[in-house]
Amino acid sequence: MISNSSRIVGAVEIGTGKIAVLVGEIARGRSLNIIGVGVAPARGVMKGEVVDYKAACEATHQALEMAEKRAGARIEEVWLAQTGGQLDAFYNEASVNVKSADNTVTQLDIASVCALAKEKELPAGRSRIHEIRRPFRLDGRAVPDPEHLSGRRLEVGYWIVHGPESKVSDNIHVVGGYHLEVRELVLASLASGSLLTTAEERTQGVLVLDIGKGVSDYVLYRDGHVLVTGTLPVAGEHLTNDLSIGLRVTAAQAELLKLRWARGTGQTRDKADKVWLNGDGAFGDRQLPKLAIETIAAARTLELLEVIKHKLGPAFLAEHCGAGVVLTGGTSRMPGIEEAAARVFGLPARRGEPPSWVKDELKDPMFSTVLGVFQFGLRTAHEHAMPQRRKTGLLSNLTKIFASS
Amino acid sequence: MSTAADTTASPPGRSWRNIRQEVSAPAMSRTGRRRQLYAWVKMGAVSTFLAAAAWGTYVVVHSWETDRAVLATAVHSEPVRDIVLITDGVLNQQWVNGTLALPKTASLMALDLPALRDRLLQGGQVRGAVLSRNFPDALVVTVQERTPVARVQVSAGAGSPQQLLVAKDGVVYDGLNYDKQMLATLPWLDGVRLVRHGGSFEPIAGMADVAALLSMAQLQAPNLYRDWLIVSLARLADRDEIVVKAQDIPEIVFTRKRDYFKQIAQLDYVVDAARSLPEPTLQSVNLSLDGQVPVRLTSTPDELQKAVQPSFQLNHSPRKAKRDL
Repeated sequence: MISNSSRIVGAVEIGTGKIAVLVGEIARGRSLNIIGVGVAPARGVMKGEVVDYKAACEATHQALEMAEKRAGARIEEVWLAQTGGQLDAFYNEASVNVKSADNTVTQLDIASVCALAKEKELPAGRSRIHEIRRPFRLDGRAVPDPEHLSGRRLEVGYWIVHGPESKVSDNIHVVGGYHLEVRELVLASLASGSLLTTAEERTQGVLVLDIGKGVSDYVLYRDGHVLVTGTLPVAGEHLTNDLSIGLRVTAAQAELLKLRWARGTGQTRDKADKVWLNGDGAFGDRQLPKLAIETIAAARTLELLEVIKHKLGPAFLAEHCGAGVVLTGGTSRMPGIEEAAARVFGLPARRGEPPSWVKDELKDPMFSTVLGVFQFGLRTAHEHAMPQRRKTGLLSNLTKIFASS
Repeated sequence: MSTAADTTASPPGRSWRNIRQEVSAPAMSRTGRRRQLYAWVKMGAVSTFLAAAAWGTYVVVHSWETDRAVLATAVHSEPVRDIVLITDGVLNQQWVNGTLALPKTASLMALDLPALRDRLLQGGQVRGAVLSRNFPDALVVTVQERTPVARVQVSAGAGSPQQLLVAKDGVVYDGLNYDKQMLATLPWLDGVRLVRHGGSFEPIAGMADVAALLSMAQLQAPNLYRDWLIVSLARLADRDEIVVKAQDIPEIVFTRKRDYFKQIAQLDYVVDAARSLPEPTLQSVNLSLDGQVPVRLTSTPDELQKAVQPSFQLNHSPRKAKRDL
């Protein structure tokens, strides 16, 4: 039974391989109860971007409808996971001199420095997706909240994530085609990172890699804050493609081989060790060397991880990443990928495990992002929400009624 | 979603929140369109419910505000001791006391003024009435009365005929407290069919024209009007004619198509001209024709021989002055 003070929110991920929808009942803006799941194979999406609106709509709406049906409730708003190879980010910081005579930091100083740090213009046709604040620094020392503290110079920096407006709006319109409004847009890597890491791990420093079918997302945390986020249009699909070319098989056969025999690091040493292509003994079925499959997959995996490390650049320092590397996404199910990541980054690597409150059927990596969307949305709303006067009264209630219709 | 503890103004450049989310109907899926329709229906239902609730609240509040029992307890009032009548006619205190028939213990606030007003208007003599409470114990009744322009005789079954009065707007009523001499000067109405409606009669159609003629005659030619006995409306509906029977002229035909002042002036002329004839008696004067005024006379045989034409023309040809009046 849906209580009056709760709202029904749908977390949606329009991925390259599948569309995942979770329906959650959020009570009082804090507690979450997952009441419905919907999954549909993705169509019309390439590398996280919508390339065929109608097909993408059909697949997404199918997943939404399934989730609503299972939940027995109508979704009122959508929190959408955003990914795609064209997402970009930059860091911008600003500093101000504390204005008051006694050098006490006021709200005005904080507002000024934040505005300055976010002021940087974006290239034409780009939209801001996230503005992630790093800790304030007061006379060089990091402080979570500088108000009422004494100092002369206040500094702050923002990690600003932006993407092409047309691509972002395509995703939003796919949801809009179901007559739903996107209320929150969450970067997929932040969503996964939020779910699979604890506050302690983020303080120690942790790198989260979400390797999907078409896109790999990553987020690097340090000192409890987001240091770098990024998206790479290279993922599991490339492994499939390499296998298809290298073994001269079709894409569908390569996908099957990848799921059955591919490894992030080579294990087989015997060249004579062979596997059947289809395994059904039918006409056209043939044997392929297992070593070749593993070699191709491992090479591409290492290359992918190297590219990510290269993109992280000087921001990634193994000594500042005490909690290691966390892997998630569909491709993270490939055996041996942890060893590959450990070798590339020089850190212990593990598959991400969702927290204990997640039901068993949702512990599959394909739900990491949508679960993370809820986790991230609720956490940021709770942690960062400015205290506001609670709106009550007839007008507010009427507004809610119309907003929900 | 911004993750910063923002107290700042929006940064320059577009945010994803600026992206227009509405999708045109063709770009929506069937389920989306169904959801949209459902949302509209829901909004319509909520709006209707709110409108109904607002209207219901208004009705309840209004009825509470005008509830006599509540008002009687909310305002200090005493039993009605005085009824003050203000009128522009002939009705008197006795009439208002009798018509209202208020109980002796009736509280001023507990009075149902609309019902009392209906009671005052019931007789027909009162055209409009305003009742107001004059605290603490007086009820002020201001009435506007109808003025009779004619009389009509009604015989109900085997009983003796009853005289009723007719006002300018055609309303037929009993008529109380009028001066009998004044009433005797009013002409009788003929050729009307009175239709009962409840306890009274339906207003007589066309009385506005008759009243205009009578008031014009009363004002411009009182000597003629004095002799008018009966006004017939029998030909009014069909031929727009009002037929008057005077003391010495059995039939005077007026038309409502022409100016009454001109018709009365012509009649005055005809009557004056007829007096100059030896022992003349006007049988009929027809004023309904424009220019021509056919007149029928009752004369001696000699004069009838002299009379070549029974009708004559008014003032149009001096050469025919002997014949023309």
